[in-house]
Amino acid sequence: MPLGTLDAAPPPFFRQGPSALSKLTLFSALALFLMVADVRFQITQPVRVAVATALYPVQWLLLRPVLWARDSGQYFESVKTSRSSVDAAHQRLNLQSQRAHQVEQLALENSRLRLLLGLRERVTTPAQAAQVLYDAADPYTRKVIIDRGMLDGVLAGSPVLDETGVLGQVTRVYPLVSEVTLVTDREQATPVLNTRTGARGVAFGDPSLHASALELRFTAANADVQVGDLLTTSGVDGVYPSGLRVARVAKVERRVDSAFARIACLPLAMVTGAMNVLVLKPVDLQIAARPSEPTPAVVPRKGAKK
Amino acid sequence: MIMRPGHQLLLPANPFFIWGSLVGALSLNMLQNMGGGRAAWVPDFLAVVLVFWSIHQPQRIGIGSAFVFGLFFDVHQGAMLGQHALAYTALSFLAIAIHRRLLWFTVPSQAFQVLPLFAAFHAIEWVVRTVAGGAFPGFLMLLAPVIESMLWPLISVLFLLPQRKAPDPDANRPL
Repeated sequence: MPLGTLDAAPPPFFRQGPSALSKLTLFSALALFLMVADVRFQITQPVRVAVATALYPVQWLLLRPVLWARDSGQYFESVKTSRSSVDAAHQRLNLQSQRAHQVEQLALENSRLRLLLGLRERVTTPAQAAQVLYDAADPYTRKVIIDRGMLDGVLAGSPVLDETGVLGQVTRVYPLVSEVTLVTDREQATPVLNTRTGARGVAFGDPSLHASALELRFTAANADVQVGDLLTTSGVDGVYPSGLRVARVAKVERRVDSAFARIACLPLAMVTGAMNVLVLKPVDLQIAARPSEPTPAVVPRKGAKK
Repeated sequence: MIMRPGHQLLLPANPFFIWGSLVGALSLNMLQNMGGGRAAWVPDFLAVVLVFWSIHQPQRIGIGSAFVFGLFFDVHQGAMLGQHALAYTALSFLAIAIHRRLLWFTVPSQAFQVLPLFAAFHAIEWVVRTVAGGAFPGFLMLLAPVIESMLWPLISVLFLLPQRKAPDPDANRPL
């Protein structure tokens, strides 16, 4: 019985249960096992799905006041700002329409040229609109939660875009929601192509540089990279379709002591404030499987006895 | 029974209130995450409530319930599974280790004594995530245990209010 409490039942004298230390040992071991199973073997997805499904009604309920606050904030936004945003959108549409008229002709020309050269058709990727519900709270990673899940046919690994560029990739799928790892997450690698030079590279997230940035790693110190270069997806990974805008080079630092240049890029997608996003199907579902590697001929070892 | 001098004899705690407050703290954590996004300095209300009940009602709330709540919070955050479970387990163990001593002090000095507990809680999480390769969330993380221990006086007044009610004399008086 706790100190200074009026309790009707007498405290148990002998049946105290296992000691606190043994409970600590048991549950810490269980937690460590779960962590290793999660990070190293990735076998805990069923546990996650079960807990997430149990949590979903609570999350849904708690999200209501958040959404109301967000909506009421937008409601009181003045007419002037919405007018100016409409004007800006019209201007952008005018600029884009000129190019859009050319696109059809270019696509036709492209398809004829491809037929002429006997190349495969470019893959088209079906897209699905989704809404960002909230930022995942884990401060050690950069993730957001979107409102489409397994029931809507979202696949793990699908690329996610917003209207300005590549936002990230779906990394975990729950029945009703999914987790999207942003391009600025430390563990997230995006294969990119420098549109000015055509050089391919890999951009990793780097939250230590700015609040949100990417780093173009493994680029030689004398490589041709300039500030302002546009990086788009290269399409060689079998996940992202090629040509989606990812980032723009913000800083190039060439050091004497390193064989690699340190290149910081800023993401073009609104990684901190995206609301409406597109979820694409991964490209590798549409392209042909890689031919199996020929089995290497067995070469007898030199020292082997005959 | 050992009575602390100058303290009121409290009513027994209602188990529904205990579990309700834990679920409420978990919801509050989730709400501040979904409303405010990720920030390293935000206090973990669930940790404060778990420490409170581990100290005041160690027979009811202990290491096992801390583990389960940790798992729930891990899944909500999308963090590594077991990270919060380990941290809450250790936190609850430390709270139970000091529960006989702590209540003899005044509430402000209790707040100072639970500060190392919360610091250890955040340190465990940080070490585990650094080993697993997470990014450093920033030095504002050091604010979180301070805010949590500042919540201690507030919570020890609020959560003991139902137990401080005058007992109803009609409840079990033979007529």
